[in-house]
Amino acid sequence: MEDPREAAELLTAAALEDPSAWNALVARFGPQLWHIARACGLNKADAEDVVQGTWLRLVENLYAIREPAGIASWLRTTARREALLIARKGGAEFASGTASALDGATAATFDTAARQGAADPVSALLEADGGRLLWQAISLLHEPCRTLLRLVATDTGGRQLAVRLGVPAGSVGPTRARCLDKLRTLISLEELVP
Amino acid sequence: MIDDEYLLASLRTAAGHDPMPAHVAASSRDLYTLRLVRADTANPLECAANRGVRGGAGPRMVRFATEELLFEFEVTIGDGLIDLSGHISPHPGQDATVEIRTPHLTVIRSPAGGGQFAATGLPPGWFSVVCHRPGLHPVATRWVRIRP
Repeated sequence: MEDPREAAELLTAAALEDPSAWNALVARFGPQLWHIARACGLNKADAEDVVQGTWLRLVENLYAIREPAGIASWLRTTARREALLIARKGGAEFASGTASALDGATAATFDTAARQGAADPVSALLEADGGRLLWQAISLLHEPCRTLLRLVATDTGGRQLAVRLGVPAGSVGPTRARCLDKLRTLISLEELVP
Repeated sequence: MIDDEYLLASLRTAAGHDPMPAHVAASSRDLYTLRLVRADTANPLECAANRGVRGGAGPRMVRFATEELLFEFEVTIGDGLIDLSGHISPHPGQDATVEIRTPHLTVIRSPAGGGQFAATGLPPGWFSVVCHRPGLHPVATRWVRIRP
């Protein structure tokens, strides 16, 4: 059962030696961090490094955090930063070896991360509730986009997509791009209209 | 701006495809045991060595510092495993111990007369080096990712 405490409360409790609070943070945010790493194009081994690295940054800062309310945005920002470093460097280097690579991980940037999170509501929507809101948004689209995006989400191949949609194989790519555009527009609007 | 790849990855997550493996959650939970109360943090020093050279052969240097201690270590990668040898200056004292930490294992060393320490055959991934001195706060380097 999910821990009912707010994320900020969990963070404070984790800093007060409550391992169950830490476990609850991992359960709540771990899948999002994984998803962010995978969305940056990383393979599973590198995505695992991103998830671990993000929690290690939190371990480093556990006793120095002043604004626990920023935790969700901070975790996302840190994961994205670590993922982009690994993606850029191909895993062959000290991904976090420079001060600039690490500056996002200091406690002082919790506020900044929270503000960035607020400025990026679409990301927050995509990552909320394991994608439940995003999945709901797909059902608001017209065909063929509704079916196409659901098939794409389950890794249905291009040829099979064409058969299922009854379109020529060559038109799947452009249709997919158009449908993603529509989804993007829809979720942006959804955010603007509470 | 959300690019197509990011949106597609989000869709796959939403569809329950590509879930985070259970062992990743388990190892994330275990990281809590690596917290250090009242530790001072040694930050990486900006230097050419830290940036590394893509595809470059031979050992690489990594340096971290606080106002009082400097950690320098040389990383060698062989057969997919990591060897670390380094030193702490000024010498942290006779009773000091050095912990070389990874998410999977921790190696403890007593620094030699010149403050040197070494550990071999470590699994690639995340590393941190911690210096413990009696009566003083521990000093821990930031976590650094080292992969072949």
